[in-house]
Amino acid sequence: MKPLAALIAVGMGLTCSAHATDWEVDLDMRLLSSDGQRSYLDGGTGALRYGENQSGLQLGRLRLALDQNIGELWSVHLDASSWGEHDKNPIDLTEAYLLFRPYPFDGLRARIKAGAFYAPISLENRGPGWESPYTLTPSALNTWVGEELRTIGLEGQIDWLGTRTGHLFDVGLTGAVYGWNEPAGVALASQGFMLEDRQTTLFGRVNPTPGLNDPREVFHEIDGRAGVYAGIEGRFLDRLVVRALRYDNRSDPTQQDGVTHIFAWLTTFNSAGARLESGNGWTGIAQWLQGETTISPHSHRLGYPFDAKFLLISKQIGRHTFSARYDRFEVLTHFVTPTGDDYAQYGHAWTLAYLFEPNAHWRFALEWLDVSTESALREAIVPSEELSRERKIEASFRYALGSAVR
Amino acid sequence: MRPSARRNTRLIRGIDPEAAFPAGLPWLRYGYRAAAILLAGLLTLIRSAGVPAAVPGSVPSASVTITVHSADGRPVPGAVITVRSLAADARPSAPIKAVMDQINRAFDPDLLVIPVGSTVDFPNSDTVSHQIYSFSPAKRFTLPLYRGNPNPPVRFDQPGVVTLGCNIHDEMVGYLVVTDAQYFGRTDASGSWTADIARGKYRVAVWHPRMNDDANELERELTVAAGDRVTHELRLTKPLRPAPLSAHPHSWDGYR
Repeated sequence: MKPLAALIAVGMGLTCSAHATDWEVDLDMRLLSSDGQRSYLDGGTGALRYGENQSGLQLGRLRLALDQNIGELWSVHLDASSWGEHDKNPIDLTEAYLLFRPYPFDGLRARIKAGAFYAPISLENRGPGWESPYTLTPSALNTWVGEELRTIGLEGQIDWLGTRTGHLFDVGLTGAVYGWNEPAGVALASQGFMLEDRQTTLFGRVNPTPGLNDPREVFHEIDGRAGVYAGIEGRFLDRLVVRALRYDNRSDPTQQDGVTHIFAWLTTFNSAGARLESGNGWTGIAQWLQGETTISPHSHRLGYPFDAKFLLISKQIGRHTFSARYDRFEVLTHFVTPTGDDYAQYGHAWTLAYLFEPNAHWRFALEWLDVSTESALREAIVPSEELSRERKIEASFRYALGSAVR
Repeated sequence: MRPSARRNTRLIRGIDPEAAFPAGLPWLRYGYRAAAILLAGLLTLIRSAGVPAAVPGSVPSASVTITVHSADGRPVPGAVITVRSLAADARPSAPIKAVMDQINRAFDPDLLVIPVGSTVDFPNSDTVSHQIYSFSPAKRFTLPLYRGNPNPPVRFDQPGVVTLGCNIHDEMVGYLVVTDAQYFGRTDASGSWTADIARGKYRVAVWHPRMNDDANELERELTVAAGDRVTHELRLTKPLRPAPLSAHPHSWDGYR
């Protein structure tokens, strides 16, 4: 309960300070039918958030967010969620950071973030609470970002605001130094990519080994070495966003935590993507991520190269949004598994979603998702079930309340 | 604009109707009041259209219509037209007090044309705070994080385009066109603007937030003779930039 107590204390402290606080509470309930395997979140090998055993009514997310300005140029952002699962804390932080935003000067603008937040990778998770305005479930690529990546450290960004000085485009550069992410990669190497909207909380855990009740903290420091990333973003007016990022957590893959025995996973990847928006409601997003995660127990190097990409097309008509997405993903291994495979997982998925926002407070959504995966781990546990096709249809009813809701 | 309309109403009401019309003619008295209100309303309407109300009455004038067309021949609504006198003794239009509000995380109105020396009030009617800035050469300023209307009006002393932004909400963009012209306004839905302009030689300029053309290259000289009905066409040579995607449509979004 520590994070909740801290959040309440900080929230109360901020509310009493000079500038008023912007707050938001969202409740998102789900009604679903799934024919999926038991979810990996539930100790199974399924690729979805909810397996067949969880069809029915579920708590999608209860979210509390606070934004507080401190003086002229500083602000604090806190985002906490409850995902209705048996995690370590019933409610916990997904992001918590301090933002420094000086005034732009001669077309240049700087931003500095300190705390825990998302790296600028996803082009679909652009809504409050890192949600997507296109689908309920993010792509496999961004599911992994929400599951295992969080920048816990310092990020600097500098933007040249060309569109404010009569030019057609803006350019931004980002760089970060961070820690507490050595386990990042463990879920990818064991389970592979998933398609689910639960974001791992800062003090939360994932269960990478099916059948074993062995939850691991994702945001954990093992080797004392800081990771880095650097990215570039170009924006053509407000129509096209192009991003590229190089990520290297600089872990020492020979290191192991003395108490929990968790390995330090050396995770490096390149990520790139583009989002194009037309003036008549069409949006197209393409994103790609390729890298490798490695551990070296007793000098045996175990490397897992991975690759994920997706294409999303969306059309907004008034308050209605229709989206379709195709995902492809794979995690390979540098060695042959006991089942004779040289991959950990590969698969593809189709997602169709309809979102309706009658006003600022309500959102109704309906999503159909069909994912097919081959998983070496699943085959090792249940030999007849190497190939798995999982489908779900899910309705969401979300109500948002607060001063930040408009 | 509203204060000047109130001034006009006060001026007209300043004539005592009791003295002007004897008791035997009450209908005439009410007719006078109705006419006064009508005239005041008309003056408000004229001023809100951006045309200086004080057209020099003694100087012969002509009705001038300026039309703006895009490179592919379609009318361009929302373009700013300025007509600046080339006479040595010409003085800019009188300064005004204008208001640019912030509603639903957008500047409202999102574009104002104001004479040099005018002041603009920037209240924030939103429930969230805004932090307004401009780094345009015509006026660099910042308004600290605020809600309501705690700041004094900002004075704009140099002609030019001032681009406004919010340091918290990137999607917010507004424009002030500060002009030393005698006549100015914006094109209507059919891409035209009409004003009564005194006889003389002028320089006509056009500007639009989405214009790719160099505004200087589109400037034209215009000679106005008394009694004329002049129609002048300005044609852009380059296509306009795409309209912004903001959820709040801008007044320059009419052309798509």
